[in-house]
Amino acid sequence: MAGEYSDPQPLVEVPHGAFGYAKRPVVRVDGLRLSSGRSLGLFGPNGSGKTTLVRGLMGLLAPMEGHVVRNRENLRFGYLPQHRALDHTWPMSGLDAATMAVSAQTPWGRVGRVRAQILEAMRTLGVEDLANRSFSGLSGGQQQRLLLAGAVACKPDILVLDEPTEGLDVRSRRNLLGFLRGTLAAGLCTVIISHDVQDILQACDEVAWLHPGEDIDQPSTVEMISPNDLAERVAQLRRAS
Amino acid sequence: MTPLSEYVDTIRVVYPSLVTAAALGIGGGIVGTFVLLRREALLTLAMPQVVAVGAALGMAFPWQILPPEWRTLAPALGAVIIAVLLLAWSKRQRTGNWLLPALYIGGLSLSFLIIAHSGEHVIEMQNMFTGMDVTMTPQQMAISSPILLAAGSLCALLWRRWLLFAQAPAVAEAAGRRTNRWETLFLCILAVILLMGTSSLGAVMVIAMLFLPAATALPWASRVPTALLLSMIFSLIFLVAGLILSIEFALPLSQSVGGFGFCCLVISHAAARVWK
Repeated sequence: MAGEYSDPQPLVEVPHGAFGYAKRPVVRVDGLRLSSGRSLGLFGPNGSGKTTLVRGLMGLLAPMEGHVVRNRENLRFGYLPQHRALDHTWPMSGLDAATMAVSAQTPWGRVGRVRAQILEAMRTLGVEDLANRSFSGLSGGQQQRLLLAGAVACKPDILVLDEPTEGLDVRSRRNLLGFLRGTLAAGLCTVIISHDVQDILQACDEVAWLHPGEDIDQPSTVEMISPNDLAERVAQLRRAS
Repeated sequence: MTPLSEYVDTIRVVYPSLVTAAALGIGGGIVGTFVLLRREALLTLAMPQVVAVGAALGMAFPWQILPPEWRTLAPALGAVIIAVLLLAWSKRQRTGNWLLPALYIGGLSLSFLIIAHSGEHVIEMQNMFTGMDVTMTPQQMAISSPILLAAGSLCALLWRRWLLFAQAPAVAEAAGRRTNRWETLFLCILAVILLMGTSSLGAVMVIAMLFLPAATALPWASRVPTALLLSMIFSLIFLVAGLILSIEFALPLSQSVGGFGFCCLVISHAAARVWK
């Protein structure tokens, strides 16, 4: 999927920036861009600052150094949580789960007017028949597709996906990645947080590889590489170890 | 079997308490469902103790300028506001889980220390905890019941919000929703239920109405609205059954409601295990 491209105006651009908490920078980044129809993979070990970087890109964290350029007014971000992170003691149907993302966009959580939009997204992902089923009784793949339907129904400009294929079987993983490629063709920008090199190879155009600092107080640094380079270097590291 | 006329006579005397208990059952049943789902049960145990501290202050140092029904309610409201602010700060700062047990034991101790040498108020305070010999005037009912119903209705209307913040806070953040503000709103709604319920009917009734109907309903609900509806129905059933028990066997109402609700809760969970 990786390739050269020229984007005259990315949606979000970080020429140079550092993000962190309580005056301690967690991650430092140079030359990162998010553009329509492109997918960025975030790859790095646990604790390397992937979530912090995403929060910075979304504007939820102000940069401690540098600046973030947003080239469009009112950029709309969507977020796909891991289906495993959900609390299954809450009684909810498939439609309730898919509706969560849309309810987040409305001031008081009401979704009456956009229900058709959600059902349409569920139809596209082939999960419309799960609307009235108990969410906790569904397979991981079905749960993830329902959540993705909700995230897509919001019509975000940039969709952040947190480990989207975690815990899915091969078929569900293939379907989900296929759908994501379709959304890119339709002009959506995606940011995929993943530990899986295969996912990044299949779904991403570019990778931000987060390297933790040598000292615990040092921020992680971000290296921008292509998915093929990432796969090659990870394979080399595995052979070496 | 007690004759029907005695039921009518009793209800005629205690109707303000019964109406308020029904409003507490509806409001508390709704809010209690979210308290259980959000795993905030300890909060519900700690807050009545905070209400008791405010009420004790009101008993020991009554403000004569306030109407009688507000003399304990106003300081209790002040204590609850301080507690809600503390809890909101604690959540934001992630200070750990010491605050709720501290409020519980602090409230339990301070409320009695404040009125330690005043025999009349000590009994009044004991009644506030146990719910025994609690009587309400129609004026108190007119204040408490609409507030309890309004708090419950607001909580029910925002059910998708509570679902969202519990399940996917990152989705809410991405959409620009402020988690802390909504957490504080939930705390305020819960505080209103606890304040009005404890000061009107006592801690036993308010805790019974918050926990028991919701816990009885949850095993049978496939969606949040169903859980809320079942919880309200159970709370009214518990109230009616508790009233019958209390009249038939001359038992205190709060304990009758709590005891009957507890038995139903055990049966509900056992039946759900067998059924599912």
